[in-house]
Amino acid sequence: MMKLDEILVTRNWVGKPVRRKEDIRLVKGEAAYVDDLNMDCYQAAILRSPYAHARIHKIDLTKAQALKGVVAVLTGQEVARETKPISARAITRPATQYVMAADKVRYVGEPVAAVVAEDRYIAEDALDLIEVEYEPLKPVVTIEDALKPDAPLVFEEAGSNVLMHDKMQHGDIEQAYREADLVLKENFKVHRYSSTPLEPWAIIANYERASDSFVVWSNDQQHGRSLTNVCNTLGIPIHKLRLIVPDIGGGFGIKLALWPYIVILSLLAKKVSKPVKWIQTRREHLLAGSHAPDANVEIELALKKDGRILGLRMTDIQNDGSFVHTAGIYGLIKFATMVGCYTIKAMGTELLSVVTNKAPTVQNRGVGKPTMIFVLERMVDIAAKKLGLDPVEIRLRNFVQPQQMPYTTPSGEIYESGDYPQCLKKALDLIGYEELKRHREEGRKKGKYIGIGISAGVEPGTSNLGYYYTARGTPEYTGNAEGAIVGIDYDGNVNVLLGSVDSGQGHATTTAQVVADMLGINPDQVSMNAHVDSLISPFLGHSGVYSNKFNDVDLGAVIMATKKIRDKMLRIASHALGVPEGELALREGKICSAKEEEKAITFREIASLAYKKILFLPEGEEPGLKAIAYYRNPIAKLPNRKDFNIQLTHANSVHVAVVEVDVQSGTVNFLKYGIVHDCGRQINPGIVEGMAIGSTVHGLGATLLEEFVYNEEGQPLSTTFMDYLKPLAMGVPKFELAHMESPCPYTLLGSKAVGEGGSLPSLAAIANAVEDALQPFGVKVTSLPITPEKVVRAVRETKEI
Amino acid sequence: MADSLGQAMRRIKLTINGRDFEHEVDSRLLLVHYLREKARLTGTHVGCDTGNCGACTVIFNGKAVKSCMILAVQANGAAITTIEGMAANGLHPIQESFMDKFAVQCGYCTPGMIMSAHGLLAENPNPSEKEIREAIEGNLCMCTGYQQIVEAISQAAKKIGRSEKTKP
Repeated sequence: MMKLDEILVTRNWVGKPVRRKEDIRLVKGEAAYVDDLNMDCYQAAILRSPYAHARIHKIDLTKAQALKGVVAVLTGQEVARETKPISARAITRPATQYVMAADKVRYVGEPVAAVVAEDRYIAEDALDLIEVEYEPLKPVVTIEDALKPDAPLVFEEAGSNVLMHDKMQHGDIEQAYREADLVLKENFKVHRYSSTPLEPWAIIANYERASDSFVVWSNDQQHGRSLTNVCNTLGIPIHKLRLIVPDIGGGFGIKLALWPYIVILSLLAKKVSKPVKWIQTRREHLLAGSHAPDANVEIELALKKDGRILGLRMTDIQNDGSFVHTAGIYGLIKFATMVGCYTIKAMGTELLSVVTNKAPTVQNRGVGKPTMIFVLERMVDIAAKKLGLDPVEIRLRNFVQPQQMPYTTPSGEIYESGDYPQCLKKALDLIGYEELKRHREEGRKKGKYIGIGISAGVEPGTSNLGYYYTARGTPEYTGNAEGAIVGIDYDGNVNVLLGSVDSGQGHATTTAQVVADMLGINPDQVSMNAHVDSLISPFLGHSGVYSNKFNDVDLGAVIMATKKIRDKMLRIASHALGVPEGELALREGKICSAKEEEKAITFREIASLAYKKILFLPEGEEPGLKAIAYYRNPIAKLPNRKDFNIQLTHANSVHVAVVEVDVQSGTVNFLKYGIVHDCGRQINPGIVEGMAIGSTVHGLGATLLEEFVYNEEGQPLSTTFMDYLKPLAMGVPKFELAHMESPCPYTLLGSKAVGEGGSLPSLAAIANAVEDALQPFGVKVTSLPITPEKVVRAVRETKEI
Repeated sequence: MADSLGQAMRRIKLTINGRDFEHEVDSRLLLVHYLREKARLTGTHVGCDTGNCGACTVIFNGKAVKSCMILAVQANGAAITTIEGMAANGLHPIQESFMDKFAVQCGYCTPGMIMSAHGLLAENPNPSEKEIREAIEGNLCMCTGYQQIVEAISQAAKKIGRSEKTKP
């Protein structure tokens, strides 16, 4: 691997809070999200099932078709005739699902029919005129419902509601239990929630009749995979679909699998003579967009009396709702952080993916790892209490030590660097731990219930794709990679085209900082259009904005392409100046002799040679100044059951939450919140800070406010932001932040993940703080969210949240 | 001509960012859809259906309002400022502060957030942190956790205050 000094020729920009290049358009209202594109479109609306589980007997479209302004309709029967079923990634039982329900609906909100009309108002009117005859079936809503021996089957052909069931063992778990002084066991329930990007899903599809091909604009986070999925499902060659991703108004994983709707829109577009637009409403998003699954987790820790954790056993059951594409992956990805920051030597796991009549699940920010860190960090606190240890002490006794890095966990995950004990100590200093403990004791005497919650988390990044195929043979995707094209413009400035997209991370800025320091120029001279167009962008199947892979493989591709261009410019300069390459230096848009700086040639002049005066190029040198590179993470291994390496970088953090619980109203108020995180070398600290705080607020919402509630009939009860409560500016604390930088040895810049960041450790930090605050009442927290109602009930009656 | 509800289309006249607009509109058309689709000012966004998210916030006769909660016909005669009207050339100090403080990630909430801040600073030029947080209670941001937005508004207030003082 290239060393940092070989990559960067200046250190003027990497590591500095450079103002974001993206922002000028965004603050002026000049962004171009899908709905902003100025096109003459018809508009689509989607009829959705009012039942959780029902057979469709008949759909009568007559009245809808007769409405003035309606131009086309589509039903599930037609979709089933025209398309292939949705492909599965992790589940092992057969389950056939189309992008629109044909014979049977499996969740409230499942698409049943679609209408295209002159405008959205008319399209919505037409939905009211579609008559569907349903035969309601008994719904399967909870995990417990699904596992009953006589449970109705969501997919009859599967023969069970458990679509994936796997057991794995890593390390000698039997020995760990033999050596243990005690075993602690707990059952946790984690609810359904979602990061709900502010811009809902959006698609425009246009069918070009003459060429029998489609152009689609969509805010798709994982366009590389979507392109393949859509083409396979429609049964068309890849070159018949051009996918364009403009600005994205937030993603957080929730826009990773909107491709089934691209299939629907493509079918609609084929029926009409104008582009068709569909903008998901917020209700549609909350009802039938995607959620993180609810889960029941039974976890055991085998411990020594001194607090050392020897082994971990876990039975993890995910309620994956009804979406065969992504079902099952939440349990598997947990292996990336299953032992957290600790030297636990053995683990035994049983994983179940359960299908129910709830909405689809997809990779929401952190994907299962928030649940993993929540149950683990809760258990560590429970163990500390049982053993009479301070929560700090038990963690210090179990942390992987800095001298053990790189550290391989029992399942094969490699923690490449980090100083976990120092991170905790720094967090305690930041927050004033000792002082706070005194404050807590004084408060209790006065009837003020203050709690301090600590949580240490590993924050993995860059998914080693294919891990979800453990039981399905050879994975379709393996490792992780990205592509980039870097070119020098005619005038000597630099332009970058990345295979990936941006959903708010400031990729164009960060890229410009890196390229500027690689070429000895200013970031203002580097332009990057963060949009993707499958016709021209250097993408591959892995491309997209997910699993915090940008800092690793995306920048890796940019660096390798820039290096190719830099090498070529040096060759051309050497020839033009008559100076050996080894004696050349890059200085402010020029290449000069390091000894005699007046012997210089500007980038503009080099570009002129490469693009225009090509006969002056060195012998055999290809004209042009543009290079493409694909870069893959160098340590990715083919995952197998013994060496089950899920993710490829591992940032870490410690969160300390300090809360006061009002035991009368059940509300939780923050007094302080400290975060110390280590994402390796930071490229833009301004961006990193925003990610660290924003991701933590996602966790805060999940812990205290947000929940997709379903009733016994499988009816979702939280389908607006009045019922599904998001954190507001008043309810979040002012975060105190500190950083550590343990460079990652396996990424080119030493960087690690930050995007999922605080969405992992924050759940446990807050839950631990609430339990600590309610210690005088003997309340234990084993479920989320911690709502005021549950707090009041726990204090008065149940003793359990 | 009848509209989609069988009623006569209504003619509205209004001023947006100092420019006069006149259109025949459907009586049920929401102001936010009017702004986006008829006036083609797409900086005003839609993030929910229920008036919770504030992405559609505009200044309506001097007050910050959510344009999804108002019908276009109710805007007849109104003077509206949208994000596009904040600064004819260059940047308004609030916009500049949002950039300085990294208060923008995906940018979808940003125009609404800036309009709410604009509404606040018109009424209270020197707000406390708590007052800023209260003023943006009606604006959801899913990316930032609000901290850098609050800092940006606070910085903008100081900047505007300074420039007011130095006025001759």
